Amino acid sequence: MRKSIFIIAALLVGTLAKAQTDYTKSLSGIEWVKIESKTDITVKTHSSNELLIKSGPEVKTPERAKGLKLVGEGGPDNTNIGFSVVQDGNTLIVHNLRKSKGAEIYLPKSQNLSVKSTWNGDIDIDGFSGEIEADAQLNGSVKITNVNGPVTANSLNGTLEVVFGTVKQDSPITLYSTNGVVDVSLPGNTPANLSLSTLNGNLYTDFDIKVTEKDGMKSYLGRKVNAAINGGGVKISMKSVNSNMYLRKK
Amino acid sequence: MKNKHVDELIPDYLDGSLKGEDLRKMEQHLAECPLCQKELEEMKLLFSAFREDQIEVPSERLKAQFEKVLETEISNHGQVIQLQPQRKGNNWSNTFLKVAASIALLVASFQMGSVFQQQKANKDIALLQEETLQMKQTAMLSLMENQSASKRIQGVSYIEEFESPDEAIIKALGNRLLYDENDNVRMSAFDALAKFTSSESVKNILIEALEKEKNPSIQVAIIQALVQIQEKKAVKPMQKLLDQEDTQPFIKEQIKAVLPSIT
Repeated sequence: MRKSIFIIAALLVGTLAKAQTDYTKSLSGIEWVKIESKTDITVKTHSSNELLIKSGPEVKTPERAKGLKLVGEGGPDNTNIGFSVVQDGNTLIVHNLRKSKGAEIYLPKSQNLSVKSTWNGDIDIDGFSGEIEADAQLNGSVKITNVNGPVTANSLNGTLEVVFGTVKQDSPITLYSTNGVVDVSLPGNTPANLSLSTLNGNLYTDFDIKVTEKDGMKSYLGRKVNAAINGGGVKISMKSVNSNMYLRKK
Repeated sequence: MKNKHVDELIPDYLDGSLKGEDLRKMEQHLAECPLCQKELEEMKLLFSAFREDQIEVPSERLKAQFEKVLETEISNHGQVIQLQPQRKGNNWSNTFLKVAASIALLVASFQMGSVFQQQKANKDIALLQEETLQMKQTAMLSLMENQSASKRIQGVSYIEEFESPDEAIIKALGNRLLYDENDNVRMSAFDALAKFTSSESVKNILIEALEKEKNPSIQVAIIQALVQIQEKKAVKPMQKLLDQEDTQPFIKEQIKAVLPSIT
């Protein structure tokens, strides 16, 4: 009898603990999930049609905060794990309110996704087939791997690295960084129209780039290369103002 | 009867064609008239001479010549015969010409028809192109309002289809450059507008954007575009950027480098 009470208690504690670190929300009717965070954010895919936030090891709420709620610029913590999740029309807005410790977020593979890092957080996105927008506004880096859909990514000081799976959509891909390195891997047979420009950096690639500059017109942004690979196709635009660019065959 | 000579009957007598009365009278006369006997003798001689004389046969040469002449005559005649089929040929070619003419007429009218059709089609195509351009403009403007940044960029890049975009497009691009929350969309909008820096409204948009823009990549791109067209109104926002603390050092360097060239 004592033993079973102990087991039940342990299970209860376990579920409570789980409830504290995981948060799920159904994604029916949601087209876009927008995530904003100051700290590291890792976004991965899972098979169920819901948002799952794993906030990792529990963050101790300060003694003085007992009975109080965490409030950030994204709104009050309505998840009990330091996140604010608000639905706005067909968009789900997810704010990481904590300023330390990263989080892992799981979403279905085809989800359209927009991730913004407003401070030092690194963005790591893996395995999506929907549209992806990533913006590291200050010092964070962006790493996007195994994606097919259109990617719109920007970084200020961090590295911007994208590894594409098969690219077959027609929406343009734009990868811009001001001070960070732009490093892109594409399958060698991707049909694309490339527009590559760097002001103070250099461009390195193993693609066979034939320059198709219009009537010898010089771009305003210094050194700009327009080229078609594999007969031309999706528009891929890469820019780095102050760093090198690397375009690799995968 | 004595006095009547029978000389004119002699040939008949000699021929033996005198019969009965005439023959008896003739023999009677010949017996008593020596003149007529002489005549008869002469006539007999003549007749025998006729009989003895061989019938003249045309020589081989004459025959050959005659046949030659005949041949030529035949051939001449043949030519005339040949003329008939020739005339027939002429008829045929005439018919052929007629058929050809009618075919040509048919083809020509068909061509004319198709030319007119083509002209109409060209007009239709031109109309359609105008329509597609209008549709493109509508699509462009609506894409620029899309929730997806990639779609907005696609909308912005439709500018390549327009050689001289109207004010509505310029304004929409300007709104993207000035107010879009996504840096890449703003950058793409700048790229699109940078091709029309000769337009006064584009210049004003760029100057306004330079005052607002926080992304250093876009700042430096705008600065370069405005310096390229020697826009004096750009000096003020550039000096403001120099004074701001949060302006990236390399932007300040850039401004310091280009300011003397337009002031």
